[in-house]
Amino acid sequence: MSDAAAQVSTAKVTVSPDEFTFVKYDSAEIATIVAELAEQLELANPIKVIVDETTPLAKVSEEIDAASSDATITLHAESGALEDRKHPMSFSADVARESLGRILLRAHDRMRSDFADAPADLDLTLEQNAAWDTYCAGRLARMGVRVNQQRWRYNHRNRFGFHDDVDAHFNQLWAADDLSWSAISR
Amino acid sequence: MGNGAVDAHESTARAPFAPWDRRDIPGSFSVDETARRVGNYKWTEMKLFEALGGWVATVPELDVKMRLGTHCYHHAWHADLWHKRLPELREMKPERLTVPANEAMERFIAAMTEPEAPELTIEKLVGVYRVLIPRFIAAYTYHRNNTSEITDAPTIRSINFILQDEFDDWRDGEMLLQSMITTPDHVRRAAEHQERLEAIMVEAGGITGPDSIGTAETTSTEGGA
Amino acid sequence: MRQFFPVEDLARDERFVQTNMAERMKDGRTAIDVEKTSSAKSRGATKRLTPERHDASDAARGLMHGIMVGEIQALEGAGRTAHDFAAGDGTNDTVPFELKLDMARQAWDEARHVEISAKLSDWMGTELGEFAENTVLFEAACSNDPILRLAGVNRALEGLAIDVFTQMKEFGDVAGDPFLEFCEDWMLADEVTHVKMGSDWLRKVTANDPERRTKALEFQQVVDKLFSFGGARGESADSSFSLAKRFRELAGFTDDEVTHVKMGSDWLRKVTANDPERRTKALEFQQVVDKLFSFGGARGESADSSFSLAKRFRELAGFTDDEVETISQMDAEALEERKEAVRKYRERVGADA
Repeated sequence: MSDAAAQVSTAKVTVSPDEFTFVKYDSAEIATIVAELAEQLELANPIKVIVDETTPLAKVSEEIDAASSDATITLHAESGALEDRKHPMSFSADVARESLGRILLRAHDRMRSDFADAPADLDLTLEQNAAWDTYCAGRLARMGVRVNQQRWRYNHRNRFGFHDDVDAHFNQLWAADDLSWSAISR
Repeated sequence: MGNGAVDAHESTARAPFAPWDRRDIPGSFSVDETARRVGNYKWTEMKLFEALGGWVATVPELDVKMRLGTHCYHHAWHADLWHKRLPELREMKPERLTVPANEAMERFIAAMTEPEAPELTIEKLVGVYRVLIPRFIAAYTYHRNNTSEITDAPTIRSINFILQDEFDDWRDGEMLLQSMITTPDHVRRAAEHQERLEAIMVEAGGITGPDSIGTAETTSTEGGA
Repeated sequence: MRQFFPVEDLARDERFVQTNMAERMKDGRTAIDVEKTSSAKSRGATKRLTPERHDASDAARGLMHGIMVGEIQALEGAGRTAHDFAAGDGTNDTVPFELKLDMARQAWDEARHVEISAKLSDWMGTELGEFAENTVLFEAACSNDPILRLAGVNRALEGLAIDVFTQMKEFGDVAGDPFLEFCEDWMLADEVTHVKMGSDWLRKVTANDPERRTKALEFQQVVDKLFSFGGARGESADSSFSLAKRFRELAGFTDDEVTHVKMGSDWLRKVTANDPERRTKALEFQQVVDKLFSFGGARGESADSSFSLAKRFRELAGFTDDEVETISQMDAEALEERKEAVRKYRERVGADA
């Protein structure tokens, strides 16, 4: 593949802020990562990434303004979600890929008609969040993104309990590829 | 009498030693000599636990770091056992006898504790687990086997507990070394450092000096007391 | 081997990256977050680690990693204290023989805690070295005065550990985690022992040296406040690290000391009876370290400001005059730069930022 063809188009990805003040992040690098993930997911939608660099916390969320292929996807990320945890205020491509990949997958899910009933991110219960995260993290891992499965298993256990049937539930969600909202939130 | 009552005339006199109890009085060491050795043991165990504790911060290998912390306590406890034994051997000022056997033992400890850099973990472990602890095992075994089993029973009891630690710690250290010595250069480093330290230890004669493990002329008293 | 070992030489494998107080204070996000009004859904609404937090698992993971590296430093600190001071009567550069034995025992305990924390990190899906390691615990164990080490580490930081482990234990209990509560409870028992060790030795060694005792207790207060994240440590149910009063009482704190740290008993007076300056210095050090970490407290250039406190910390901790001045200048410049950056950012994005 030629260099030109290998370069992912970031034309539809915008990152705010343009320049960072409190952290050493590069908006172009963030845009490239998001564009690469979108390409893997065959997502052609315009994507806005909004990074809150005033907080070191790591909350992420997404929203779409319609369930259509030209709807704008907005990804919200607190700066801690893209941060190199060994070097505070520095960017980590791996961490960013995992954080932004998860919410991009959610946005992709929301495009499906069987996700029409899914509440907005900020309205999800803790259990719904955990189940959806497990489903997204498993798919991310199969996409080749660096994901620590045990981290998500622990997260799942904290929400649903430390039992064998909970682990079985985790394994099902992790390995799944084509679930509806009702299947995830059951 | 058939009802289980005790016969008032049955004798309760028994020999003071059961037939299977073959312990005897003779021992190679007087009270003063025992105190001298115990003081040497205490001094050396102190130096060892101080070294292990000090090295914890200097080794980058996580498993070695934790083992050194654990072994630090083992040797501190040994030093404490000896610290408590000394007054029982008529030494009311334990610090008076808490001394090295000789000047060469001081030099040995200085040489053993000299490696500090983070890349010298092999040297640190070799000094302790291939030179000093084997010497401890030898000195303690000699002492246990040659002291009076009856008059010096408290020392034997402490030595038995201590020897269990020494063997366990020696095994831990030796396994760590075997896992770290993986190239000809590692082998060379380990051998050279061991040679350096052994030479000084030979000068010292051992943890309690030249008669740490006895000599060809050393015999225990023949016959019973 | 050197008698005293500097924090910058702490040996680590390549997985670990270390940071220190000065580096952490450069994070402009921290300052802004403290001033921001907390929303109901933000972590600022409650700093307590409970399963109800949206980031509960990751917060627990981060805290457990912090505990693990803290235990590594506690192990190193105890080992160094066992090594650095000759056995003696507690004056000059000596410590009682039994104090050395207690430090060796603590080294063993902390080694076990590292083992436990490493296993728990594995359980929780955290990689060793995943987070930056703050070396402040070992820094508190670097004093040339062993009594200050006991005040800063055993009484202040181990006391903090009691609060943290209690919270982790409760978290594990509520979440139904079969290992977390079990492990934290075992570690808690050990930490109570360590705090008591520190309390007992501080009293004994400074029994005749009220100045040294005062200094040691001041150091303890400084370290204590250093970790009062956002000033949220206290005894209310909503504070980040509830004081676990009962554990402190068990650990040798008197009733007065639980509420207001006060000077103790005979040992402390005896050893420092002829060295009033040493006691005063120890107490001042404790207060400096204590206040230095009062995140959300006064940040400026007053006597109680972070940078003034940091300067005094270095003076008492044995930094040279040149080092103290150089770092203080860097800190002051960094603070000014950050203030200016915040002003410009807010002008750019408007008052709603």
